Amino acid sequence: MARILVADDASFMRQIIREILESDGHEIVAEASDGVQAVEAWKKHQPDLVTMDIVMPRRSGIDAVRAIMAIDSTARIVMCSALGQETLVTEALQAGARDFIVKPFKPDAVLATLRGALEKGDA
Amino acid sequence: MSKYRAVFIEEATEHLEEMSRGLLELERDPGRAEAIDLVFRMAHSIKGMAASLGYDPITEVAHRLEDRMQGVRAAGRVDAADLALFFKGLEGLEAMLASVRDGADAPAADPWLVHALSAPLGPPKKKALSPR
Repeated sequence: MARILVADDASFMRQIIREILESDGHEIVAEASDGVQAVEAWKKHQPDLVTMDIVMPRRSGIDAVRAIMAIDSTARIVMCSALGQETLVTEALQAGARDFIVKPFKPDAVLATLRGALEKGDA
Repeated sequence: MSKYRAVFIEEATEHLEEMSRGLLELERDPGRAEAIDLVFRMAHSIKGMAASLGYDPITEVAHRLEDRMQGVRAAGRVDAADLALFFKGLEGLEAMLASVRDGADAPAADPWLVHALSAPLGPPKKKALSPR
């Protein structure tokens, strides 16, 4: 099971993701409510995977992906996107994110995407 | 997902207060980038939360507000007519959230509001703020 960092500025969304991931046996090592916290939490915990919201205060999710990838190019990051964010998702994938999940989250789809991202990282 | 309803109401209420604060800042300074970003992020966040609980009318209005504020972001400032429209959007979201708080479903989005928010950004439109 993976150690995961959850980054989203809405505590509501963090709770939903936490429940989905914990139901599959994953451990949430930290939560971050903005991009600055996400990078700091990544440095501190070096998680197996990050779920990263795109739109966050102080530092966007895409900027946080760039910062983390600059530290460790093998970092596994999955973006959390919403309807109408295709351009930003593409930018995040180009910055190094492995994949993305779309709100509203469907537990099976979220877990399948995360498993895929974790397996890709092991290859 | 019903167990998340109270969390949604609490956080969405805070987000709408933040959105109101941002719009009031834009009333004083129509080009204030931090306030434009704040309103954009609050609309985006409400959209994601509402979609997660199936509150489609709230999702739709928040989505339109987010898209329109994205246009304002690109333009660098908001004009007076658009600012009035954003306040209308905020009022619409507050009314829908109040219904949810009272235990009802979110009522259907005001078609005029959705239409007005979807119209292209441009010079002030005198008729745009005469909804009914």
